[in-house]
Amino acid sequence: MATVKSSVSMGDRFAEITVIILTVLALLIGWLFKSSVENRAFNFEAGGISAQAPSGWLQAKTEGDEVMHVTDLSSSGFGTTYILRKIPVTTDTNASEVVTQLTLEHGQNLTAFRVLNQHEVTVYGQPAYEVNYVFVESDPNLAHASLPSVVLGTDYIFVKDDQAVVATYWAEETNFESDLNRFHLFLESLRF
Amino acid sequence: MPESKPLPERVHIWRDELMLILSLIVFVGIVYAIDGAFQPVFTTSTLLLTGIFLAIVPAAIWLVFFYNQDRLEPEPKHFVLGVFGLGALLAAAIGVPLVEDVYRVSHWLYTDTVTTILGGILVVGFTQEFLKYAAVRYSIYHSDEFDEPTDGVIYATAAGLGYATVLNIQFVVSNGGVDLGTGVIRMAVVALAQAAFSGITGYFMGRAKFESEQIWWMPLGITLAAVANGLFNWLRGRVVQGSLSVTGASVNPWLGLALAAFVALAVTGVVLWLVRRGIRSTQAAK
Repeated sequence: MATVKSSVSMGDRFAEITVIILTVLALLIGWLFKSSVENRAFNFEAGGISAQAPSGWLQAKTEGDEVMHVTDLSSSGFGTTYILRKIPVTTDTNASEVVTQLTLEHGQNLTAFRVLNQHEVTVYGQPAYEVNYVFVESDPNLAHASLPSVVLGTDYIFVKDDQAVVATYWAEETNFESDLNRFHLFLESLRF
Repeated sequence: MPESKPLPERVHIWRDELMLILSLIVFVGIVYAIDGAFQPVFTTSTLLLTGIFLAIVPAAIWLVFFYNQDRLEPEPKHFVLGVFGLGALLAAAIGVPLVEDVYRVSHWLYTDTVTTILGGILVVGFTQEFLKYAAVRYSIYHSDEFDEPTDGVIYATAAGLGYATVLNIQFVVSNGGVDLGTGVIRMAVVALAQAAFSGITGYFMGRAKFESEQIWWMPLGITLAAVANGLFNWLRGRVVQGSLSVTGASVNPWLGLALAAFVALAVTGVVLWLVRRGIRSTQAAK
């Protein structure tokens, strides 16, 4: 006749601990794997500007002075977007003048645009001007019943010689913080 | 001193599992037919409530069969319901937030085949299978009521259906309701898959308790369940997605249901055969 073990053996305890360790290990490796997937990038180069852009994102057709416009279609709601712009300036133009011009443009093109704050910063050794703002994006398809998204945006303006390079980061309010590290990697790779 | 008593063999468990699979397919067919014939119009709140009702049905079907069949060889009902609730609670409190908010799998998991499989195993598979294991291990496992190898399958299935119910409710709530036809298929697929993979963990737990298994036995069980979980999710995505053409993507959720039913049948059959073989070889050795 078979027997039933009613007590917890040392083997049971070790097996239990091993399961926990195995799960924690799997989740740690899973985190590293997730990071490596999210940080996959392709070499982007155009108009004397190069960067490591996220791979797998949708490359939209550039308009005006844009040299790159990529969007993460897997984002929930508004797709997280990076835009690179190259604006010709005179040699005596400073960053705050470019900021004024960009603010006026955003005010015309973006719904409910508001500047939250702006200040000078150093981005990976490069002097720049940072502008944080917010706007509302709604689906242009009137038949699509969804609430408009509140989008947070950040522009980094780098003025060098006769050009201003603007690196823009847009993300839905709820995704902004979590997607920010990925944008910092993109900024770090930016060369012009 | 360890006490001794015979290990009974419950035959109705096999019928419960089989009836769960068949009933879910019938249930899906009925809801799909009603949706097609009447095309009911819902308000947002009634759609949400209907979706939540549909999410609970798979677990309710299994519990009804289990209660009816278990009269001759009774398992304490409150323990089965308790483990079901614990599985649901762990899913809602840890599993869903960890997978959706911390790992944000929807952002990266479906990038390519390797990522879908590896991420599905390491993150989704291990999280789900460990939590279902924990729901049994830290509740009923050391109780005297867990007194035969088959109990591992019963309680793990209850935990898996609890987990599946929360996954389905979360799907309904996050989408503000579901399309009845495709929604009910998805819910049946999730319930069948979770119940099947729980069966693997349950089998390993049952043997771990009643036979002196090596230290790697239980980790092997969780790993097998997690691998099956990850592979199934990838395969389901492949068969459901169908083909892409210039006219758009073709999606066939019925193939997903067929795959889930096949996997559930196959896994359940193998697990139950292994349990019976284990019991018989133990009894023959005496």
